[in-house]
Amino acid sequence: MSTAYALPKDLSRATVVNTASLIRIVALSLISGAAIASRLFAVINFESIIHEFDPWFNYRATRVLASKGFYEFWNWFDPTAWYPLGRVVGGTIYPGLMATSGVIYNVLHYFNLPVDIRNICVLLAPGFSALTAWATYMFTKELKDESAGLLAAAFIGIVPGYISRSVAGSYDNEAIAIFLLMFTFYLWIKALKAGSAFFGTCAAVFYFYMVAAWGGYAFITNMIPVHAMVLILMGRYSSRLYVAYSSWYAVGTLSSMQVPFVGFQPVRTSEHMAALGVFGLLQIIAFAQLVRSHVSSKQFNNLLFYGVIVLGVGGVGAVVGLTYAGWIAPWTGRFYSLWDTGYAKKYIPIIASVSEHQPTAWPSFFMDLQLLVFLFPAGVVLCFKELRDEHVFVIIYAIVASYFAGVMVRLMLTLTPCVCVASAIALSTLMDTYIDPVQPEADEDETAQSDAGDSVSGSSATGSISGAAPKKAKKLAAAAVAAPPSANPLAELVGAATGGPRMKKGVWGFDTRFTVLLHTFGMLAFFVMHCTYVTSSAYSSPSVVLASTSPDGSPHIIDDFREAYYWLRQNTKEDAVVMSWWDYGYQIAGMADRPTLVDNNTWNNTHIATVGKAMSSSEEVAYPILRAHDVDYVLVIFGGLLGYSGDDINKFLWMIRIAQGVWPEEVQEANYFTPGGEYRVDERASKIMKESLMYKMSYYRFTELYGANPAQDRVRQQTIPKPSPTLDYLDEAFTSENWIVRIYQVKKEDHLGRDIKSANAFEGGKKRKRGRPAVGRRRAMQ
Amino acid sequence: MKSISSLLLLPLVLAAKPPQERLAELAQKNNGVIPLDATTFELITGPKRTWSASIQLTAMDPRRRCGPCKEFDPSWKTVAEAWSTVPAKHRDTHFFGTLDFDNAQAVFQKLNLATAPVVMIYPATEGPRQLASGKTGPSKYEFSQGFDPLPLAQHLNSHTPVPIPFKAPIDWNKYATIAFGFLAFATFLRYAQPVLQSRFTWGIITVISIVVFTSGFMFNRIRNTPWAGPKGASVAAGFQTQYAQETQMVGMIYGTLAASFAMLIFVTPYTKSSSRQRVQVYIWNAVIIIVYSILVSLFKIKNKAYPFKLFL
Repeated sequence: MSTAYALPKDLSRATVVNTASLIRIVALSLISGAAIASRLFAVINFESIIHEFDPWFNYRATRVLASKGFYEFWNWFDPTAWYPLGRVVGGTIYPGLMATSGVIYNVLHYFNLPVDIRNICVLLAPGFSALTAWATYMFTKELKDESAGLLAAAFIGIVPGYISRSVAGSYDNEAIAIFLLMFTFYLWIKALKAGSAFFGTCAAVFYFYMVAAWGGYAFITNMIPVHAMVLILMGRYSSRLYVAYSSWYAVGTLSSMQVPFVGFQPVRTSEHMAALGVFGLLQIIAFAQLVRSHVSSKQFNNLLFYGVIVLGVGGVGAVVGLTYAGWIAPWTGRFYSLWDTGYAKKYIPIIASVSEHQPTAWPSFFMDLQLLVFLFPAGVVLCFKELRDEHVFVIIYAIVASYFAGVMVRLMLTLTPCVCVASAIALSTLMDTYIDPVQPEADEDETAQSDAGDSVSGSSATGSISGAAPKKAKKLAAAAVAAPPSANPLAELVGAATGGPRMKKGVWGFDTRFTVLLHTFGMLAFFVMHCTYVTSSAYSSPSVVLASTSPDGSPHIIDDFREAYYWLRQNTKEDAVVMSWWDYGYQIAGMADRPTLVDNNTWNNTHIATVGKAMSSSEEVAYPILRAHDVDYVLVIFGGLLGYSGDDINKFLWMIRIAQGVWPEEVQEANYFTPGGEYRVDERASKIMKESLMYKMSYYRFTELYGANPAQDRVRQQTIPKPSPTLDYLDEAFTSENWIVRIYQVKKEDHLGRDIKSANAFEGGKKRKRGRPAVGRRRAMQ
Repeated sequence: MKSISSLLLLPLVLAAKPPQERLAELAQKNNGVIPLDATTFELITGPKRTWSASIQLTAMDPRRRCGPCKEFDPSWKTVAEAWSTVPAKHRDTHFFGTLDFDNAQAVFQKLNLATAPVVMIYPATEGPRQLASGKTGPSKYEFSQGFDPLPLAQHLNSHTPVPIPFKAPIDWNKYATIAFGFLAFATFLRYAQPVLQSRFTWGIITVISIVVFTSGFMFNRIRNTPWAGPKGASVAAGFQTQYAQETQMVGMIYGTLAASFAMLIFVTPYTKSSSRQRVQVYIWNAVIIIVYSILVSLFKIKNKAYPFKLFL
């Protein structure tokens, strides 16, 4: 046996094995460290702060849990959300995330470590990302081996597709959900491999945790049945499958029904019917197998076969019938819109309006996965080559998740683990092949030379006799290598990793190995650089605090949101109702602690549409709506001064659309465009646009800022016409430093019973026209 | 000839009877859709109308080259025809009309319309069918759900006294296609079983669909992105957009790169001669480096701030 490079000879087997396992442990802990560290950019660049929108609600709920205890949290009714409706929080959330933080908080405090609950919330996602890396390692180990597992763990630790949802401060359900997803899948594979009810039940327990933590649990609910179904169709039914699936389904479903928000859904909605159907099918098949093993008659076997088919068809028919009869709810809009991609825009504009529900353009894929995106198909090909039961799982996962990730940016998150696993398999196979020092014996070139020189020697002697012989020669050589216990344990270890010394394949020379490996390491280094860059520049912004650079290049923090929310907290009555678009509901509740009309839990479309209507109507129309809802303050986000593009004017079209869905007569999208069909805010804007409350509140006194110069909106690059809009029913109460947040106070009815417009005119010294009494006056006299 | 004479007679006829009856007559004669010109348009949208009207403003003349007009016209006619089947009591209080650009350019100018087709709905201004909100101005029908008759009928339902008895015709074509497809598939299954049971087939299907999905194909499907930009631009500026052409480029790049890795794993180590193997190793490495550099530079076009580049 020739080797491409020299190996140390005097190593005992135990040394090699021990060193390998030590390296694994060290590598895993380093990977965990890297995973956590790369998520701390947000804390280092800004501060330990909760990010974005939804996390603010989770944080608020966790604070309730930590301070008042679990039962109080469980029965929490929040009267300040969805004013005046209120919200039953305990029954409408996935409590897994808060419960996790609550447990960590209590454990730490039990050991007298007085850690603030905020820091636990901020650092929960990075902590769980280390666990995700470990779960991915375990999962990949089942598919290939430890080295692939380590690669997969390293990939998932730093890949931007996962970091985007798990940086420090991003305290959202996904923070723990991906760990649960991977670990449930690992346990499922393990249960299936061994036919173990123990691992099946473990999978069910973690499935329960997942159900309690994230609405995306439906992905597991459908992935496992689909996997089982495909295995049945491939003719791979086995008692192992039966045991694993039945224990997972029975325990998992019963426990998942304990989550109040889920309740009886597992038996009453279409999303869960696949799991139930496959469960039923497995029972039928298992029964048929059992009967067949006891009965020999061929006719009876035939009868059984058709009996199974009839039962199966009958079961499907029953499910369809129950759906029509209304016992089983059809697919909910959220899931249905994944298949019929035009559905959401047509019927549920709230879902379609969320930016993370948009389809994914290719740069996002590359940004989030970089080189993994093309190693991924190669890894799937390798899965096809092996095609054990667990490889089938990865294949199904790959195809389903890549479809979903293409439909919704947000679901990139579910694709990422699968991409990491498959790419790790591909890359580790590549490295196994080219690190393996063993060189194949029979080289055709040499054989040809030896033929020419007629110098017959050794094993190549048979090779020169016939054309078919070289293969045989290699087999002989392989047998020769395999037979004697190798003197070199390291080579043996590497050989074992590549699936035993099959000498059919192999690489000659040192340069080839070196080229491929250098190249691979180069690409991996590039990947690390890419991940670091993307994480620090794109995914670590808390979006509550914005970063900018001053003209001299020094970093500058824009803190308008907190400035405004704290103004609300300190200067308004505690029960003052604040109206804003739903995006800011959770933040207002979390930071300003004031009641809101609508928030990010978009459960009541009409209520949101009401806010949309108020924002998009003229002051006269909006005022009764505001008063009817006891609104004291209206908050708008305006980016025109600073060039902050995520402001309300850019979201305005969605407000109009959502309002139009409920009041098609009164709010019409087309009225907000110029006759040429453009969405503009300058002097060409339509009259209705200029009179809308949103436009007026955004640009109120905006032109005064510029004096005689034209007032330039820096987001839309348009000039705002002079004079600025005037407000009759609202008073400007607060505008933040960079004008990002503007707060208006709603005026109370006039004390003299005049309508506010004429009262304002009176104050302004304008004479009321004779003969046209104001409307309010006339009403007052009646 | 007949139409000309009837047009000539129109003013006379109009003078004789109350307008609503005349409109009803015209509607009945023309399968529910009143062909309008400037005069009859004034009549149907007159300020003192006890009826409501929905009017399609279109340009059907081939010279106008209005593709959408032609696409929408049949839907309009079917919905109007469905309306003409309701009892006369209700039918004659809502009219369907079609105004062609070439018959009444002045109307288009007056309404400030630069595009066609447009559907305007005029509510009644007097009488029992007056709107509760007191609105008398016309409203526009947005083609937000395409040119299909069903959404049109659903929208108009809120303007007609009784719902339009419109039912989407049963698409026999579609059902026949499905049935035929099913049969063909069943027969295909019978003969193609070995192909379908081969992991090779499934592997190819899977890998191709993965590459297609990860290169942004669904974005094109959902957004109906054009093949290329204006002036043949092949790459859309901006991180969140793309043209269909880009998807194909990127898909090819991913495919090439994945294939190169697969070659290094599956083919190169099994080569029987060391010299050929060496050549292969270098070729595939070079392919990967070059194609990857292209990919990175393409990404740099999309994301201007991206600081890295490879050899290109």
